[in-house]
Amino acid sequence: MNTNATPTRAPMLTAFDLRSTTGRSSWQLVKRGLINTRRLPSAFFPALAMPIFNMISFSGTFFALTKLPGFPTDRSVNWFMPLGLAMGSAFSGVGLGFSLIRDLENGFFDRLRMSPTSRISLIIGPVLATWIRVTLIAVMVFVAGTLLGARPTAGVMSYICSWVAAIGISTIGAGWGLALAFRFQDMRGAAVMQLSIFLAMFLSTAQVPLNVMTGWLHTAARINPVTNIFRLARAGWVNADDPGHLSWQNAYGGLIAIFVLSALTLVFALRSLQKIDN
Amino acid sequence: MNNSPIIAENLVRHFGDVHAVKGINLDIKAGEVFGFLGPNGAGKSTAVRMLTTLLRPTSGSARVAGFDVVTEADQVRRNIGVALQDAAIDPLMTGAELLALQGVLYGIPGSALKQRSNELLERVGLTAAASRRVSTYSGGMRRRLDLALSLIHQPSVLFLDEPTTGLDPMSRLTLWEEVRRLNREGTTVMLTTQYLEEADQLADRIAIIDHGKIVREGKPADLKAGVGAPTLIINTNTDQVEKANAVLSTFGDLRPGAEGALGVGLRGGAAQVTEVVRKLDEAGVRVQHLEINEPSLDDVFAEATGHRLEGADNAPSAGDNGEEEPSKKKRRGRK
Amino acid sequence: MTDVVATPPTLIAEHSIAAAFRQTIALAKRSTLELFRQPALVVPSIIFPLFFAFLGNSSFGRTTSLPGFPKVNSYLQFQLAGTITQGVLFGSVTGAAALATDIENGFFYRLLAAPTARTSILFGRLAGSTLFGALETAVFVLVLLPFGADVSAGLPGIIAMILSGALIALAVGALMSSVALKTGSAEAVQGTFPLLFILLFFSSAFFPRETMSGAYKTIAGINPISHLVEGLRALSLEGFSISATARAILVPLAIAVAALLVANRQLQMRLRAN
Repeated sequence: MNTNATPTRAPMLTAFDLRSTTGRSSWQLVKRGLINTRRLPSAFFPALAMPIFNMISFSGTFFALTKLPGFPTDRSVNWFMPLGLAMGSAFSGVGLGFSLIRDLENGFFDRLRMSPTSRISLIIGPVLATWIRVTLIAVMVFVAGTLLGARPTAGVMSYICSWVAAIGISTIGAGWGLALAFRFQDMRGAAVMQLSIFLAMFLSTAQVPLNVMTGWLHTAARINPVTNIFRLARAGWVNADDPGHLSWQNAYGGLIAIFVLSALTLVFALRSLQKIDN
Repeated sequence: MNNSPIIAENLVRHFGDVHAVKGINLDIKAGEVFGFLGPNGAGKSTAVRMLTTLLRPTSGSARVAGFDVVTEADQVRRNIGVALQDAAIDPLMTGAELLALQGVLYGIPGSALKQRSNELLERVGLTAAASRRVSTYSGGMRRRLDLALSLIHQPSVLFLDEPTTGLDPMSRLTLWEEVRRLNREGTTVMLTTQYLEEADQLADRIAIIDHGKIVREGKPADLKAGVGAPTLIINTNTDQVEKANAVLSTFGDLRPGAEGALGVGLRGGAAQVTEVVRKLDEAGVRVQHLEINEPSLDDVFAEATGHRLEGADNAPSAGDNGEEEPSKKKRRGRK
Repeated sequence: MTDVVATPPTLIAEHSIAAAFRQTIALAKRSTLELFRQPALVVPSIIFPLFFAFLGNSSFGRTTSLPGFPKVNSYLQFQLAGTITQGVLFGSVTGAAALATDIENGFFYRLLAAPTARTSILFGRLAGSTLFGALETAVFVLVLLPFGADVSAGLPGIIAMILSGALIALAVGALMSSVALKTGSAEAVQGTFPLLFILLFFSSAFFPRETMSGAYKTIAGINPISHLVEGLRALSLEGFSISATARAILVPLAIAVAALLVANRQLQMRLRAN
């Protein structure tokens, strides 16, 4: 054994540019997310089936809602398709928290943490992979919705608004899921994630518009920023003469909600990651 | 200033009320293989997690590869390679994909990365399995892949956390050979293990850790010599046991062996054997078998801690996770 | 050498109906205690249906005047039957998953190794679920009553509803136990959960069939869940009558009997396989 070797042998790269590494690392983590999705489709299937089932069952069982005076659309699928997509996106987002918990429990995440790559890329990469998955879900939901009779009222903008809302919701869900995963580091975190996202979604205009609600739910939904996101998601699916129809007025609230909530949850996630060695 | 690649000064880590590491000091020289030996729960992994920037020390400090593990964590990470206990590897990815991911995380440019990956795969004998998913790998293959991953950026300091726990003897030998080769090439290695033989075979120096404290440190040979007297083991007829023990006890403390064998720690060293035999003969004791055992690391361990490590060596079970951080249970399940 | 006449140990009684009954009670007690000692498993099957009931009341309160909707005081009164069915349905999965866990961890075989009456193993487990179903029903009625979920059939109606809830739990529990006995996997039992969800949503649990249209209406019409819900609903909306009570009791009873036959068959098959 060699006991008098010099310690000065430098690593292969002494001063690499961390900024370019952040991008490459993120992209590698996107790839890992997509590889795992492709190789374990059974894990992705519920995320795909759930929103479609949600859309079909809600628009069937609550069909009568559209008969209410002042309901924004006369097509029940038009109303519930954005809800299905939003639910699927939310759970794809927090699903990131689930897989992070697995990575934390089996030690894979230690490997990532031990590398000198920027902590931001450890968050950005998986979130970008979620965006790709959500886009896939959106396409499937749009196709299924069209078959069931969903018809846009603002052309291509209808789809774009719903997709932007879906991406936004998944980002918020992902930030929240990652942060809780870093905090709890075990499956207790998963229960909290699911429950909180579930409440945030349903205490909004997820099921019925504000003008149909009564009582406490009306109050809760009015102050819930998720209501703004639903307004954006449905702007191109309500009747053209409805006050909620596509306009800057009905879009900016949702965009602000997405931007602010995403920023908050992602910063929370990054903070939680930085504290994980405590 | 001391420029040893691994220095720890009074390193302490608490998890709530549990004091996992109670102030350890290390000074591991460049080019050394340093063995960190202790039973499960002794604080080995916690210490290594602090040295590898995964865990913040409660107090004390450590410098690895010349950088502080807390304030210069990023620099430390660039200079060390770590193969973790229970090689946590994503089972859905292939060996080559994991190497590519690891390489990018360490900032190795694409052109160099491909070549480096191939070299490493070749080196650990996984070239043929490179495009297979890790879930199809055997335990030994996973450890070898883990080693390759930890070497992607040519680190000058390598941490191996229980590299052979749960491996079959053949795979263990292969891994030992690779560690020796890396060390010959100048890599400083810190190895944690619960296997005495592993520490004895690989380490230039070892530290025995028990209940969060280093209880012995030094070269294996010196430590063994420090325990002192070699043990003389004899077998005799059952009706002569009493007579034999009476003779043996005049040469040192009795150390009964296994299966009814008699033993004594020879105060005067191995040179006394002939005299023992003569005295036994004079007393009319018929000796059927005789052997002399030099002190082992297990004796060192027993002497230092008051309990033996044996058994850990015999049956490393598949579910044996090693020590846990008490406040964060199930951090490292087996993949 | 002396002749030894083999006598059975006197402590162990011979197989008898009484012994089987006592064993069933003992196992029922175990399964019930097990449920109550794991609030994390039980509480969601009470909280979620209640949450949905209140959410529905605020969301769909205005729909009760639509054509096709029966005459009700509030949406909550209409929803009560759906809430009960939903809670009982989800609660029963827990019991069946516990049976599968017994098979997974070997407790089931320990019971088989003892001279336990074979059917006690199944009935003991189901008795626990049935009792829990009755309890859930009582909780839903009592919690929702002050918020406008009146039961027109009064106290006899409430008693009939509790009985009906218990029978629904028995029926679903037996069906789920068949899955448990067939697969011996708690994961497989949990895996049927989405299926129950689908059945529930394609029924009249949340809205009257009369307000639905097309294929959806047809599916809800043949869905057995619709008939379970509508029996209960008759009691809360129409007042006490022999026909409403019969509907609330007989439909789940018939399903329970059929399900028990299936479960018993699965039990016999598992016994034979050993």
